[in-house]
Amino acid sequence: MPSKPRKNIDLYALTWRLPIIIWQGIFFVGPVLFMLAMSFFLVVNYRMTEAFEFVNWTKMLSRGYFWDSYWYTIFIASVSTICAMCIAFPAAYALAFRASESTRRWAIFLLIIPFFTSYLVRTFSWFVILSKSGVLNGLLSNFGLGPYTMLNTNFGTLVGYMTLTLPLVVILQTFSMANIDKTLIEAARNLGCKSFAVIWQVIIPLAKTGLIIAAIFCFILSFGDFVAPFYLGGSQEPTLPILILDTTKSGQQWPRAAVVAIMMMGTLFVVAFGGIALAYRKRKGAK
Amino acid sequence: MNANRTLNVILGIYVALIFAFVFAPIIFSMIFSFNSQRFPTIPLGNFTTEWYVKILNDPDVWEAAWNSLVVCTSTALIATFLGFCTAYSDFRYNFRFKGPYLALILLPPTIPLIIVALAMLAWFSKIGMSGQIYSIIIAHSVLTAPFAMAVIRLRLNQMDPDLEAAAWNLGGSEWATMRHVIVPFCKPAIASALFLTAAVSFDEFAVSWFVSGLNKTLPVIILEIVQGNIDPQVNAIGTFVFLISITLVVLAQVFLFSRQLKSIRP
Amino acid sequence: MTEPLVVFDKVRKHFGSFVAVKEMDFEIHEGEFLAIMGPSGCGKTTTLRMLAGLEAPSIGEIRLGGKVMNDVRPHERDTPLVWQSLALFPFLSARENVEFGLKMRGVDKTERKERALKWLDKMGILEFADRDISTLSGGQKQRVALARSLVMEPQILLLDEPLSALDAHLVIRMQAVLTDLQRELGITFVYVTHSQSEAFAMADRVVIMGNGEIAQIGTPKDIYREPANQFVAEFVGRNNILSGTVASVAKDTAQISTPSGDFTVPMNDVTLTNGQSASFVISADLVHIARDKPKGGNMAQCKLISEEFVGSMVTLFLEDAQGHEFKVQMQERELSKFDLKGGDQIWLSWDTQSAHVLNES
Repeated sequence: MPSKPRKNIDLYALTWRLPIIIWQGIFFVGPVLFMLAMSFFLVVNYRMTEAFEFVNWTKMLSRGYFWDSYWYTIFIASVSTICAMCIAFPAAYALAFRASESTRRWAIFLLIIPFFTSYLVRTFSWFVILSKSGVLNGLLSNFGLGPYTMLNTNFGTLVGYMTLTLPLVVILQTFSMANIDKTLIEAARNLGCKSFAVIWQVIIPLAKTGLIIAAIFCFILSFGDFVAPFYLGGSQEPTLPILILDTTKSGQQWPRAAVVAIMMMGTLFVVAFGGIALAYRKRKGAK
Repeated sequence: MNANRTLNVILGIYVALIFAFVFAPIIFSMIFSFNSQRFPTIPLGNFTTEWYVKILNDPDVWEAAWNSLVVCTSTALIATFLGFCTAYSDFRYNFRFKGPYLALILLPPTIPLIIVALAMLAWFSKIGMSGQIYSIIIAHSVLTAPFAMAVIRLRLNQMDPDLEAAAWNLGGSEWATMRHVIVPFCKPAIASALFLTAAVSFDEFAVSWFVSGLNKTLPVIILEIVQGNIDPQVNAIGTFVFLISITLVVLAQVFLFSRQLKSIRP
Repeated sequence: MTEPLVVFDKVRKHFGSFVAVKEMDFEIHEGEFLAIMGPSGCGKTTTLRMLAGLEAPSIGEIRLGGKVMNDVRPHERDTPLVWQSLALFPFLSARENVEFGLKMRGVDKTERKERALKWLDKMGILEFADRDISTLSGGQKQRVALARSLVMEPQILLLDEPLSALDAHLVIRMQAVLTDLQRELGITFVYVTHSQSEAFAMADRVVIMGNGEIAQIGTPKDIYREPANQFVAEFVGRNNILSGTVASVAKDTAQISTPSGDFTVPMNDVTLTNGQSASFVISADLVHIARDKPKGGNMAQCKLISEEFVGSMVTLFLEDAQGHEFKVQMQERELSKFDLKGGDQIWLSWDTQSAHVLNES
C-alpha cells in the first residue's frame, strides 16, 4: 500500500471502516451494555427506574426455581447436543466419504434451506404431527400401536431441538470431515486399521476442531431457544429462555429478565471458550 | 465387496431419513393447508382452499405481509451495505484493534435470540425508538450483517490480490477502482448476501415479536395464532412463508455458485 | 548526453525492521530496455513497485523526467505495469480490459474502442476481443496484459516477471515479441526477472541486485565477461570461478595459486599484492579442450562428468582431481570432433587475457 503522509486523514479507508463501528456501536453494543446495567434497575409500581441495586440479583439467584431451570436447561441442551451430534454423524460420514462431490453439494444446498426457513411453522407442524390425535398416532393406530403422549415431554422438546439444529450440525460435520487429508485414512487402512477403528482413531481426531465447533453451535442454539420447550415440551419444566419470556412479556420485570439473560450469556461464554480451547489444544509436546 | 455395498445402501437410507425428518414439517404444512379438517390427522379430509381464502381476506395478514416485505428488503439493503464495508476493510487493511472490530460484526449470531430481543426492546424503549417498523429493520440488520459480511469476504478471497493495484496503476483512483473493479467483482456475492439477509429477516420472529409493538410482521402473526388454538390458517400462511423463504435461499445459493457453473477463475 | 528518464537517488526501503532495499543509486535512460535481475528476495520487485508508486521510498528520492515522484499517488503516474499474475479483470472481456486505463483517463467511448482494437490487432489477438478472458490461453492472456498497458502509450513500461507463468516454448517467442516491440515503439522498458537468460537475451543494460543492493550494472556482455564480484559471477553462471592466494605479481599479470593449480591472470582493473587472497573467473565458452596436454599457459586436467545440450550449444561439466567443477561451452559440431565419453580425461586450457579477476565483496 502506498504510504501516505501521516497528517492527511484517509477518507477512503474511513468511509469503509466506520459504518459498522457506528451502527453496531449504537445498536448492538448499546443494547447489550444497557441490559447489563438494567439488571441493577428497580421496578416500582410497574415502572422501571434506573438505579444501582443488587436486589434483582439476590432475589433471582436465591430462588429455587431459577436454579432448577438453570440446571434443567443445561441438562436438556446437553442431551440435545449429544443427540444431534450422534444422529448427524452417520449422515455426515456418508456425505463426506461415500457421496460424490456433486451429491454432497446438492445435499448441502438442500440442507441450507430449512436452516433458513421458518422454524416457528415447522415447530407448529410437529406439534400437530405429534399430538395425541395427530398424524403420527393416527399412522401408528393402523398397526394397533399407541396412542403415545409425545407432546409436553422431554421427547417433544428434543424433537423441536433436532428440528432447529440438525441441518446445521450435519452441514458442519460434513465440512469438517470432508476437508481432512484422505491420504491419512488410506495410510491407516494400509497399516491394518479396520473400518470402524479408522473412524475412532483417525477420522474423529483429525476432524476434531470442526466437530467441536459443531457441538458448540448446537449447544448455544438449544440453550437459547424458547420455542421447542414452550410449544413441544409444554414448558413442564421451564428453561431459562422461557423464564426470560415470562418475566418480560407477562411480568414486565425486565431487570429480572436481564439477570437471567446475563447468567445465560456467562454460561455460554464459558462453554464456547472451553470448547474452543479444547478444539485447538495441541497435544502435549507437539508443535 | 458385498459388505461395502450393503453399508452404502444403509447409509443412503439413513441420509434419506434425515432429510425426511428435516423436510417433513414443511411438506406436512403444505399438504394440510389444503385439508378441510380443522385438526390435521389421518385419514385426510377433503381438498379445500378455504384456508387460503380466509387468510387472503384477512386485512391483518395483508398488513403483516406488507410489513414483512418492507422489513426484509430494507434489512437486506442495510445489512449487505454494512457487510460489504466490513468485508472490504478486513480484506484491504491491517489496523490495530482489528480483532475487536471483527467481533463487533460477528458476535450477534452467537447470542441467543431471546436475549437479543430483550436487550433491543429495553434499549429501543430507552431511546424512544421502540414499536416501529424501523425498530425491526435496525434489529434485523444487526443480526444479519454477519451473514452478508461472511459471503462477501469469501468472495474477496477469490480475488487476485494484485487486481486492485492493477486498476490504480492504470489510472484508477481508489474510489474509481471501488466502483469499476471491486464492486463488479463482488456482484454475485452482493446479490447472494441480499437474498440471504432477506431470508433470515423474513423468518425472524423472536426479536420482531419483542420489538415491533403493534406493527407486526408475518412471523409475529404466526406466533400469535400459534399461541391460541390450533388454527389451520397457520398452514396456509406457513406455506406462503415457506415458499418465499425457500425461493430467497435458493436464489442466494444460485448467485454464489453461478461462477462455478460458468467457468473456473482465470 | 540526454537527461536520464528515471533517477533513483539514495533510495532505501524498509518494512518495519526488515530492510528490503539498502541503497539504490542508478539511472534509467530513455528508450532503453533495462532488466533488473536477482534471486528471490533481493529487492527487485520492491524497486519496481516504488517506481509504480505502490510503495514509497523510506529514504531518498525517485525522479521521473526530473520531477520528484515520492508523493505522487499510483493512479496519478504514467507507469503501467505488466503483472506477474497478469491481473486481468475477470468480469471484463479482452477489449474491455484493454480499454480500462483509457476509461480511467476519461477517453470517450468510440476512441477507447478504436484504440483498444488497434492494439489487440497489433498483438495478434483481434479475434478474441469480445471473449471472456477465462477462455483465453496463457499466451493470449499475456498479450492482453501487454496491450492493456501499451494502449496508454506510456513513456515507460514496467514488467514484473511477466513470462514466469508461461510454457518454455512460449517464453522464447514472447521474448522476441517484447524485444521487437520495444525497439519499434522506442518506449523505455523496465523488466524485472530472476532468470539470467531472459535478462541477457532482451536487455540493453542489466542491473544485478543481491540482498537489497546493486551488485553490478552494465551491458549483458560486460557483466558476463567481467563480473564485478563473486556474487555476480555465481549468479550469471556458465563460468568457472577459481579462488586462491597471490603467489607473485608481475607488471600486468599475477600468479594465483589455487588447489587446482597455479594460474596467470591479467590485472586490468584490480591491483593485487603478494599473499592476498583472490578469485578469478573464466567464461565457459573461452575454455579450450584437448586430449593431449597443452604446451604451456593456463591448464587443468579434468574428468568428463556430463554433457548438457541446449539447441546447438553444449555445456560440458568436468571435475579435476581436487573435485573442483569446471564448465566448458561450445558448439555441438565442435564437440563431435572429439568423440568423448563419460569418464574420459581431458585437458582444459585458456588464454591469460580470458580470465577476469573479481573484486572481493
